[in-house]
Amino acid sequence: MARTLNEPLWVRLLLIITVFLFLGLFLFLPMAAVFTGAFKKGITVYLKSLADPETFAAIRLTLLVAAITVPLNTIFGIAASWAIARFDFYGKNILLTLIDLPFTVSPVISGMIFVLLFGAQSAFGAWLIAHDIKIIFAVPGIVLATTFVTFPFVARELIPLMQSQGSDEEEAALTLGANGWQTFFRVTLPNIKWGLLYGVILCNARAMGEFGAVSVVSGHIRGATNTMPLQVEILYNEYNFAAAFAVSSLLMMLALVTLAVKSFIEWKSKSVSIRQMFEGGESA
Amino acid sequence: MSIEVQNITKIFGNFTALKDLSLHVPTGELVALLGPSGSGKTTLLRIIAGLETADAGTVLFHGEDVENKHVRKRKVGFVFQHYALFRHMNVFENVAFGLRVRARKKRPSENEIRERVHKLLNLVQLDRMAARFPSQLSGGQRQRVALARALAVEPKVLLLDEPFGSLDARVRRELRQWLRHLHDELHITSVFVTHDQEEALEVADRVVVMNEGRVEQVGTPDEVYHHPATPFVYNFLGNVNLFHARIEKGKAYIGELAIDLPHAQPDSESAMVYVRPHLLDISRARGENGDLRARVVHINLAGSIVKVELLSEKGDTIQVEISQERFSQLLLKKHEDVYVTPKEVRIFPQDYSI
Amino acid sequence: MGISLVYLVLIVLIPLSMLFLKSATLSWGEFFSAVFSGRTLAAYKLTFGASFAAALLNAIFGFLVAWVLVRYRFPGKRLVDALVDMPFALPTAVAGISLTAIYSQNGWIGKLLVPFGIKAAFSPLGVVIALTFVGLPFVVRTLEPVLTEIDQEVEEAAASLGANRWQTFCRVIFPAVGPALFTGFALAFARALGEYGSVVFISGNMPFRTEIVPLLIMTKLEQYDYAGATAIALVMLVAAFSLLLVINLLQAWTRKRQALR
Repeated sequence: MARTLNEPLWVRLLLIITVFLFLGLFLFLPMAAVFTGAFKKGITVYLKSLADPETFAAIRLTLLVAAITVPLNTIFGIAASWAIARFDFYGKNILLTLIDLPFTVSPVISGMIFVLLFGAQSAFGAWLIAHDIKIIFAVPGIVLATTFVTFPFVARELIPLMQSQGSDEEEAALTLGANGWQTFFRVTLPNIKWGLLYGVILCNARAMGEFGAVSVVSGHIRGATNTMPLQVEILYNEYNFAAAFAVSSLLMMLALVTLAVKSFIEWKSKSVSIRQMFEGGESA
Repeated sequence: MSIEVQNITKIFGNFTALKDLSLHVPTGELVALLGPSGSGKTTLLRIIAGLETADAGTVLFHGEDVENKHVRKRKVGFVFQHYALFRHMNVFENVAFGLRVRARKKRPSENEIRERVHKLLNLVQLDRMAARFPSQLSGGQRQRVALARALAVEPKVLLLDEPFGSLDARVRRELRQWLRHLHDELHITSVFVTHDQEEALEVADRVVVMNEGRVEQVGTPDEVYHHPATPFVYNFLGNVNLFHARIEKGKAYIGELAIDLPHAQPDSESAMVYVRPHLLDISRARGENGDLRARVVHINLAGSIVKVELLSEKGDTIQVEISQERFSQLLLKKHEDVYVTPKEVRIFPQDYSI
Repeated sequence: MGISLVYLVLIVLIPLSMLFLKSATLSWGEFFSAVFSGRTLAAYKLTFGASFAAALLNAIFGFLVAWVLVRYRFPGKRLVDALVDMPFALPTAVAGISLTAIYSQNGWIGKLLVPFGIKAAFSPLGVVIALTFVGLPFVVRTLEPVLTEIDQEVEEAAASLGANRWQTFCRVIFPAVGPALFTGFALAFARALGEYGSVVFISGNMPFRTEIVPLLIMTKLEQYDYAGATAIALVMLVAAFSLLLVINLLQAWTRKRQALR
């Protein structure tokens, strides 16, 4: 239906231009700054900074951390949202709040609690030192802190989705003789796949990009416990701007890919829901 | 205030919603726009209100062209299908809205506003609910709040879009009688849109039957029901039996049955005969004009009349309504062969197909 | 079910409870001297003040962005829509160095501000800029669905009752989206309170002037002052939780009141 009620053209234009200016200032310029900073000294310097062994180690560590934390949180996210959406149990709301908790905790505090738990000053930390197990200022600590920080992403995406879908289809599958696993892989999973993918890529983006929490627990040992964001910091503080921006450009591309996948999923699920609307005969 | 719609055309993309439509609504009347969905009735109502602009044609209020008048200035009360109540305001504030947004010079004082809103809420029997929020009201109550809100600005014209569309059957009947009484009290020129023929025939002074963006017929409920101008109107207002017939020398023939035509019509191989179910009679004996033979398939005794469904020899389903008295005289049984006689028919040439 | 609960306890609950256990070992004196020292107070002031300013900026411009995205059609709309989530996807350290590069005295924007005597990077203003970036998506994304949901009929009703566009906006649209706007504001505020990565680069980190609370915690940790760090962290945690509680209560309240249809 045509909108006969609308703001005058000049108001609309003014608002749109303001939005473009604001977003240009806060979103587009930083993006451009990263790439210009990275290529300021030419492509050879860019490639050389990326080929640096320390940077290379940082990239490897970042990938390793993501490879551990993302699957862990994905499995947990599916299990938790399934339990929350399908069963009624005492303390469900508490569980929901707990899942959200890492979102509200400052990254620095997220890292700090692991230092408190495993650090040399704590009883547990002393025991670990006695047994020669290193967690803080080592890779396990980074993995733990990252897991904590990225904990809610998948579950947050799936819970509302699964709640809105209800369990009718699953019950239908069970009455048709499917067992639990068959029901999950043939009915549940296809229904949640886009939401799941969305949660996973957000989780991954955060896992690779986490700075504050990892910074607290890593100990900044070059070539050993530096992730990419930490490497950016070190290079930047050494005034090696070209290299800092070169590593940043990789992370920026990760962000852009994340956004692209996200837009694709939104477009995909939107067209799916429109199709379902028509097939269901629920025209407006 | 009278409304004059002249040669309105409205096109959405490649769909023509209204085709060169003209209509006159006299002052103080309650008029129903009746038609199936997609007939353009809501579009017409929105154009009258100024919520939509026509591609061609004019709308006159009391002889004055209102084309360049914004909705805000047209002084129309519009009641929306889904009420469109402001959900963050309570009932009182909803009704007071139109008064509060007036320019300061024309705005009534707080006391006057309070008085007027309460008067209106009394009128719609909702004064006790003034402090409630829309979410705390039933569908019928929301409808009445929407009406009171529209009336608060003292509109010269009241427009209602499917006013009872989303209510259940009982509330619907109550509300439409109530709307009729309200109109008798206030006498505001009112136009309402409906797809329910019963509603239109019961409430309106005048019914405008619309189809595919055109007006099929305008008339009192009695006129449109008993003297439908087109096959569409005949079909849309109530049940109807359709028979293929040929016309020969002033008579129409449905199989063996011959019907005398009230006025001369040219011979034709294919004409359509329309008969309302209550204008058919059933008998055991064959009449002199050679009646239609049919077999009783189903009898429905529930209600004030008896509905009989029959199957003609050609395989057409025929619906007949007879009185309980007539039924007990006949003692019809299922699977019985009987004769069907029309008491009154309407004949239209074939190309008026629906 | 059982496994996910164990996982939750291991990853979230036990570590987090350490914070409370640790702070319980502090005496009141230690606690107060950590929480209310002059340097800490200055950091609170900056963190809360800059977070509030950033959240306010985001409320205003986020509303505009959401409005434009929902209501108008213009070239590049889908790109804008996708880019709004950039602060969610971009590592904060990257955001920090690139914002610093832009707003420092020889940066693209910073250069333009120098003649006016405005120092963007390495000043409280820089902190506000970084926090605005970080909180940008919250207001937009909480408002979008609410703005979409507003029935066109409601606006038409207001117009047919004689309201002009501005009155319709102020009296009908704005109150309807008000709770969502506040929620978005509070989310952006809460996020800003804890932000670390993007701020440390642009702020300059001068104690008493441009030092934010998370950085202060970090400094204390590096000096092995775990008691002090814990005490301050507890204060921030309580602040964040209170905000979250307010948001949840507000949402429950609006759901109850506006459940129509």
